[in-house]
Amino acid sequence: MAALTPDERLARYAELTVRVGANVQQGQTVFLLTQIDHAPLARAIATASYEAGARYVDVQYRDQHVRKAMIELGPDEALDHTPEWLKTLWHAAEGNALIATTGDPEPELLADLDGERVGRARMKELNEIMRAQMVARTVNWTGVAYPNDGWAAKVFGEADVERLWEAVAFCTRLDEADPVAAWRDHMAELEMRAATLTELRFDAIRYTGPGTDFTVGLLDNARWMSALFHTASGIEYVPNMPTEEIFTTPDCRRAEGTLRSTQPLALLGDVIEGLELTVKDGKIVDVQADRGADLVRGQIASDDRAAYFGELALVDGGSRVGKTGITFFDTLFDENATCHVAYGFGIPEVFDGEPGEGMNVSSVHTDFMIGGPELNVDGLTSDGRSVPILREDRWQLPG
Amino acid sequence: MAAAGLTHAERLKRYAELAVRVGANVQEGQLVEVLGRVEHAPVVRAVAAAAYRAGARYVDVYYSDQHLRRALIEHAAEDVLSWTPPWLLERARHIGDERAAVVALTGDAEPELLADLPGERVGKARMLELAEENNRQINEQLNNWTVVGVPNEGWSKQMFGEADAERLWELVEFCVRLDEDDPVQAWREHVARIGRRARELNELKVDALHFTGPGTDLRIGLLPESRWQGCESETAEGLAYVANMPTEEVFTTPDLRRTEGVVRSTRPLALYGQIVKGLEVRFEGGRIVDVTADEGADVVRGQLKTDEHAPFLGEVALVDGTSRIGKTGMTFFDTLFDENATCHVAYGSAYAEAVEGGVIDGVNVSTVHTDFMIGGPEIAVDAQTADGTVVPLLRDDVWLLD
Repeated sequence: MAALTPDERLARYAELTVRVGANVQQGQTVFLLTQIDHAPLARAIATASYEAGARYVDVQYRDQHVRKAMIELGPDEALDHTPEWLKTLWHAAEGNALIATTGDPEPELLADLDGERVGRARMKELNEIMRAQMVARTVNWTGVAYPNDGWAAKVFGEADVERLWEAVAFCTRLDEADPVAAWRDHMAELEMRAATLTELRFDAIRYTGPGTDFTVGLLDNARWMSALFHTASGIEYVPNMPTEEIFTTPDCRRAEGTLRSTQPLALLGDVIEGLELTVKDGKIVDVQADRGADLVRGQIASDDRAAYFGELALVDGGSRVGKTGITFFDTLFDENATCHVAYGFGIPEVFDGEPGEGMNVSSVHTDFMIGGPELNVDGLTSDGRSVPILREDRWQLPG
Repeated sequence: MAAAGLTHAERLKRYAELAVRVGANVQEGQLVEVLGRVEHAPVVRAVAAAAYRAGARYVDVYYSDQHLRRALIEHAAEDVLSWTPPWLLERARHIGDERAAVVALTGDAEPELLADLPGERVGKARMLELAEENNRQINEQLNNWTVVGVPNEGWSKQMFGEADAERLWELVEFCVRLDEDDPVQAWREHVARIGRRARELNELKVDALHFTGPGTDLRIGLLPESRWQGCESETAEGLAYVANMPTEEVFTTPDLRRTEGVVRSTRPLALYGQIVKGLEVRFEGGRIVDVTADEGADVVRGQLKTDEHAPFLGEVALVDGTSRIGKTGMTFFDTLFDENATCHVAYGSAYAEAVEGGVIDGVNVSTVHTDFMIGGPEIAVDAQTADGTVVPLLRDDVWLLD
């Protein structure tokens, strides 16, 4: 295709975000949660939202440096303080659209601060509101990334933002002549895989590979799905762009074994490398890492259900994110490169039942990668058979 | 100028300390609100850090973005233009309820961004309920607050014809006395000097002011209760603060019913992303009845329609040639600076703190407040006292009462 100018590319990206991602409806208010470093994308999304018929676009610009000042210099009570007006804003998102941007311009900004204070510095009460909205499915939302110098430097070792843009455009199918149609086909394929897995009714999933032998139970009343979501009122949306995964929420009471993460994990302003977890009776009982273990330990201690599992996701070698061969140091991308699991909050969209009965409920949700050609994934049936799902990064089932 | 040998980070820190300690006068345990635009991030961050160092219990930063405003003006329905989202109204109320300290930043990074949009819609695109709430808080003197400018490329380009943010930084540092070895002490002396002027005017019992000069013959009647104020303000609870940095003015609230005549603005006015040049305004019975300008008259006319009392005066202020802003000889295209270069008036809301008894009859209440400059060496200013005596106040930009 003809090369797009940076402005055209940005406008196209914003339009895809608004039309396919959040699927903004006529008359909705759009809540955009972003960072000042993402201003060009925020502005393009605002324009695309109005063009899609949004009544009003509310943009909350965050600034990691202000957060850093709070962590370094503020009193203890500032750390988890949630201003009342922000709660009102989040409640107002119900029935409306929400778009969040990622792409950390300074991934190491908080690295030299006290990890315990960094871990505490978040607005827990907002997470609770967001969780309730996810359970009730009242918000059509999506997350997209904004390529920037700092992020590019983290990924490539130099601030080659154009190269990062090209990778992001490839992963989000902006390189297709008709990205909207390409997304439609892509989501149909993922939906088919999810339907196949759901029909097979496995009792558990087993992961084996170097440093990993992990078995986790599935729930009868949970299904596999792709990131083609619907609100309770029927608005279809795609909460992550890119998305290559099919996923379910596991039985948080049944998980055993050891896991070794296959890619670095960007977490709370730092990067975790060589993460290894030991799991007993569903719970993470030991955390080791070459770098950043304390951050993970702090996070799984932040509430009494954070150390249990909330998500299993499968991705094969056909993933566009995987094909780039790039570690993006951004969960939105890296979790779509390969298989992953998450500790913390489960996924209400795939679960029929009261949250807590098998599906984990927590104020955290952290995905980490465990995948690649050396990882085998099998489905275990209730009568003891083992069925290959992934071998050498290839999907083994129909679909 | 000063700042010699300072790194940019040290300069930001020094500026932020002045805004927090002298300007807003942040108190231990206070909630602090910072209002800036995305382009103001370096100063926003320094202010947040300075506020925490001063003992703030929490610093709540709100970034706005003129490009979002542009998108709103271009696309939103008529009734949404002036709509206030409930969460922002709640935020503003909380600032009042909690007696928060407020640091607001100015310095337009793209002064012409809205210039090609219809003036009427630009004028309408402001959050009315929020403006009313802010007015209420100012009138009730709930908060210790300050406004400071943030030098940036776009602003410097508007001033100099080329982007030279460093030159603008040096001008701003001069204007806010950061070139002094001890800026805090320099501000103490400055506040005392301007405070003396306010006392002298109050002792004169000025009944009316008369401005004369090229294109200007304007009489502004005051209230018997009008009180002149210098640099320093006080909250209702008695906390001193400096609401504008820089500030060089003595100002008071006029009787909204008693302005007559014509006035020609002596400097350009930046308003809602447009530049108003050659503004001329005629008053009858206190009301603005005619607006003309070489450029941008529509945005003024649009703003005057915002509410019933927008076309009446809410402030008159006197500034002489010793003003540091005036001394720079620059037009800053930013009210915070330009209004301190020379004498000015504002249509729209009055400052209740400049009236004995607050919002009494004759004190204007509106959701707008726009200052425009009417002073300079060619403008003579006289005071007429209650007993009919005429006292010259300003000739050739010299303050005659000192």
